[in-house]
Amino acid sequence: MTLGRFEYHAPQSIPQAVQLLTQLGPDARVMAGGTDLLVKMRHHVVHPSAIVAIKGIPGLDRIEVDRDHGLTIGAAALLADVATHPQIQALYPAVSGAAQTTANVQVRNMGTVVGNLCNASPAADNAPSLLALEAQVEIQGPRGVRHLPLAAFFKGPGQTALAVDEIVTAVKAPPPRPASAGVYLSLSARGQLDCSAVGVGVVLALENQVCVHARIVIGACAPTPIRVPQAEALLEGRRWHSQTIEQAAGIAASLAQPIDDLRASARYRHRMITVLAQRALVQAGQSAAKK
Amino acid sequence: MKEGSIIGKDIPRSDGRAKATGSAVYTDDIKLSGMLHGKLLRSPLPHARILNIDTAKARRLTGVKCVITAQDTPRVRFGNWRLFPNTQDEFPLAVDKVRFIGDEVAAVAAVDSDTAAEALQLIEVQYEPLPGVFDVDAALADGAPLIHAETPGNISIDRKIHYGDVGSGFASSDYVRDDLFSVHAVSHAYLEPCSALAQCDGDGRITLWTSTQVPYIVQCLLAAALGMRENDIRVIKPAVGGGFGGKMELRAWEFCAALMAKRTGRPVKFTLTREEELACGRRRHPMKIWSKVGFKKDGTLVAKDLKILLDGGAYNSMGPTATFLCGNFGAMLYRYPNYRFLGQHVYTNKPPAGAMRGFGAPQSLFAAESQMNMAAEALGIDPIELRLKNAMVPGDKIPQVATISSCGFVESLKEVARMSDWKAQRRSLKRGQGIGVGCYSFISGGVFNWFNTQYPFSAAEIRAFDDGTIHLLTMAADIGQGSDTVLKQIAAEALGLRMEDIRLTVADTAMTPQADLGTWGSRVTLMAGNAILDAARKIREALFGAVSASFNLNVIYDLDCRDGRLFAAGKADRGLTFGQAVALVQKANRGEPLVARGYYTPRGKGLVSPAFSFGAQVARVAVDEETGIVRVEKMWTAHDCGTVINPMAVEGQLEGSIQMGLGYALSEQFIMAEGKTLNTTFLDYKMANAMDMPPGESVCIETYEPEGPMGAKEAGEGLASPTAPAIAEAVFHATGFRCTDLPITPEKILNALGKL
Repeated sequence: MTLGRFEYHAPQSIPQAVQLLTQLGPDARVMAGGTDLLVKMRHHVVHPSAIVAIKGIPGLDRIEVDRDHGLTIGAAALLADVATHPQIQALYPAVSGAAQTTANVQVRNMGTVVGNLCNASPAADNAPSLLALEAQVEIQGPRGVRHLPLAAFFKGPGQTALAVDEIVTAVKAPPPRPASAGVYLSLSARGQLDCSAVGVGVVLALENQVCVHARIVIGACAPTPIRVPQAEALLEGRRWHSQTIEQAAGIAASLAQPIDDLRASARYRHRMITVLAQRALVQAGQSAAKK
Repeated sequence: MKEGSIIGKDIPRSDGRAKATGSAVYTDDIKLSGMLHGKLLRSPLPHARILNIDTAKARRLTGVKCVITAQDTPRVRFGNWRLFPNTQDEFPLAVDKVRFIGDEVAAVAAVDSDTAAEALQLIEVQYEPLPGVFDVDAALADGAPLIHAETPGNISIDRKIHYGDVGSGFASSDYVRDDLFSVHAVSHAYLEPCSALAQCDGDGRITLWTSTQVPYIVQCLLAAALGMRENDIRVIKPAVGGGFGGKMELRAWEFCAALMAKRTGRPVKFTLTREEELACGRRRHPMKIWSKVGFKKDGTLVAKDLKILLDGGAYNSMGPTATFLCGNFGAMLYRYPNYRFLGQHVYTNKPPAGAMRGFGAPQSLFAAESQMNMAAEALGIDPIELRLKNAMVPGDKIPQVATISSCGFVESLKEVARMSDWKAQRRSLKRGQGIGVGCYSFISGGVFNWFNTQYPFSAAEIRAFDDGTIHLLTMAADIGQGSDTVLKQIAAEALGLRMEDIRLTVADTAMTPQADLGTWGSRVTLMAGNAILDAARKIREALFGAVSASFNLNVIYDLDCRDGRLFAAGKADRGLTFGQAVALVQKANRGEPLVARGYYTPRGKGLVSPAFSFGAQVARVAVDEETGIVRVEKMWTAHDCGTVINPMAVEGQLEGSIQMGLGYALSEQFIMAEGKTLNTTFLDYKMANAMDMPPGESVCIETYEPEGPMGAKEAGEGLASPTAPAIAEAVFHATGFRCTDLPITPEKILNALGKL
């Protein structure tokens, strides 16, 4: 299938990009890696009149990470660069791990973490761990810069809180808590290269074998990735124990609303949330205990 | 093999560099001046009467040059089983009725493909929906809607094999089991979607470049469908990106390209999309397989009664052959003294199933091999021991069907047991790990002439030149399996030349000698190879005459050829270069070029095939008992493909067949609702990819097949069969869950383990 006709703009700064979006109106689309957008255009799911490509904007591919200031991933930073970044691997292993499980080598070399978030697929591999970290998106538009919690950014499948003239310029996670660890696990029908049928991201902090902080986020099992606060509440303030973990994983599953689709049945997804949540919690607990 | 032989060497593929660098020319790469782009309008309904088609708006769209429906065609039915015209059940464009979602209804040719696609939207078709049937049970139910009015009961063809006395066989058995297996459809998923480009010359003759396995069959059927003479149609096969059985018939776009080129006077090209291929393309037959088998206490097989219903989809396609072959394969591998088979090919309102790698064997052998494993369990005999007890050996016969000549099955079983350390692993694996075995036998080309060709099955022409080179011409079609390379090796060996001394022209029906039935049933190496040997023998005799005369050799001398020279055996100085000898022969014939033709048609080889290959495979898996996900950890394969002409090519075939076998066993399936295929992209149609491939070890058991060229026979297609039953047995060994309905999905495993 062929692409329809469209204008192609490659602005050199964010203000230029925002100005273009303002001029071009709602039929223009922002493109970073293009690994989602171009596929949708080829399948005639979307027909943008113009593309505003932001990948060439200097500095937009920044990755900043340190223990005191947290993590910033610029909108043009590649999945491959996030996946292999040594400091992200050390301080935010759930973030690098999620980037590494996204799609395949070719897509990771073109696609971006922020693009994966803006595409707003319920199954987006990079959303659960960043949500569990309570990340924010940095948004620029004609009215200036604003920050929005990632949890408020997702509105539904393919839907975000972004206005047509705005661009997500970065995603930011706060500094890691002491003795905390995160894990992202996903599962799909075909081995290692697939769109996830279930994804679970967790972040934990333990003090003296007591869970002082827990965030659990499930992907691909509701219209957006969802936090499961009741499961988190069960863990927080309690001793870290296999029985509690099992209970929390069960609650997490009961709060999700998985559907039957081509990738898995609702029943299977439901069961897998429990399995993956339990495994993610156990793994994160082991890492946190070592810190 | 003799010293310096090119047979048995890892010769890189002749087309490897071109394909790796992107310079290989596939049909869609060809662009002719003034070329139009074609698109097909397909039925959105699984079963409906066509009340009216209005193409007026589409014709008026700027850029549209031609719109056709069945009204514009001669309405000649086609189908590969030309010997039995009543099996030819398909029109190029639907006449009066559509029978599956995707059935071709109309075609548009326009200045570009976007315009053609837009024009499709403007064609108005009025349908009267009819009730549809989507599986064999519904199709065979009382009062089921008839898919073809002339086929009551929706059974388009049946095939029987019967020898011995099954009743008394079961009566004298100590152990009898009766099982039902079901297997599903999968896609060929060749990387190159189908593409065809037609050009019509001033005299009305057609040239068709097409991505096909069967240039000769396309030529003949296209001529019939257009009401033209065969010699007025020229079919050329450019580079082809895989076929696996899915490109072995005349198809609607080939017909439409030719007809529209004739009508417009401009070249017309059709290239299908991946979505069309997955939504409407040919596929492997789903089957329901009832198998009853009887043993003596010691494991000796006594009788087998096999009944198979093939879900053929809306048309016969290659179903009749698959119907016979699945019964033939049910009788292979082991000695069944009493055997009965009934196969029925059933129409349903789904995309037609056709030939696909294994041609009935993967389905039939999934059942047969699973049942051997189940019987071994019940009889308390090791599965490999049970097979050794019953294994076919050279000289075994399937009465009135086939005689086994070379056969390395016993050796394959013993070798795969040794390689995999079978006995130890069977006992000592960890929880969740399992090991299982599956076996196969396969044909090296078919004997039965369903196409009713009037020519030899394979042909070759060799033109020899005084510069020491030859030009080899054959209609055999390399579709990615590497036959161009292997056929050149055979010619080089036969004439003592190097690969670079051979110019090759293939698969052009106007230029290469009549005929070749194409690439299917693993026939090319054996049949085209034998035709080349026949031609080479004639060239050699002429050249040996020149050497003999030049050196006044005693008539008792043998002659030999090697390294570009022909000489008296054992007296290398009494010889000529290949070029010198050609020059002498040419001079002796007053300039007439030295040309020879060779032919091959199997004779006295039963109904099925001139030769059979055999092999055994062991799979080790790890099953995650919480998620149900199966990881294949390792594959061991030992197989008998006769003389190995090119080990690297055989290894490539083996790896590819394991990749397809993994998909068939574990992950590939069409998700369908009311005849509609829902997973039409590679995101949702889940083939195993490079990261899923397990490591493997393989050994070729060398036998010499007397009917094969230099002793060679089939390699790679038969290997599509053992992987699924080996994995199924390994999953059983790991979990206690015996899957008898493919694919083995995580959900089925968890359900069986009571964990879902």
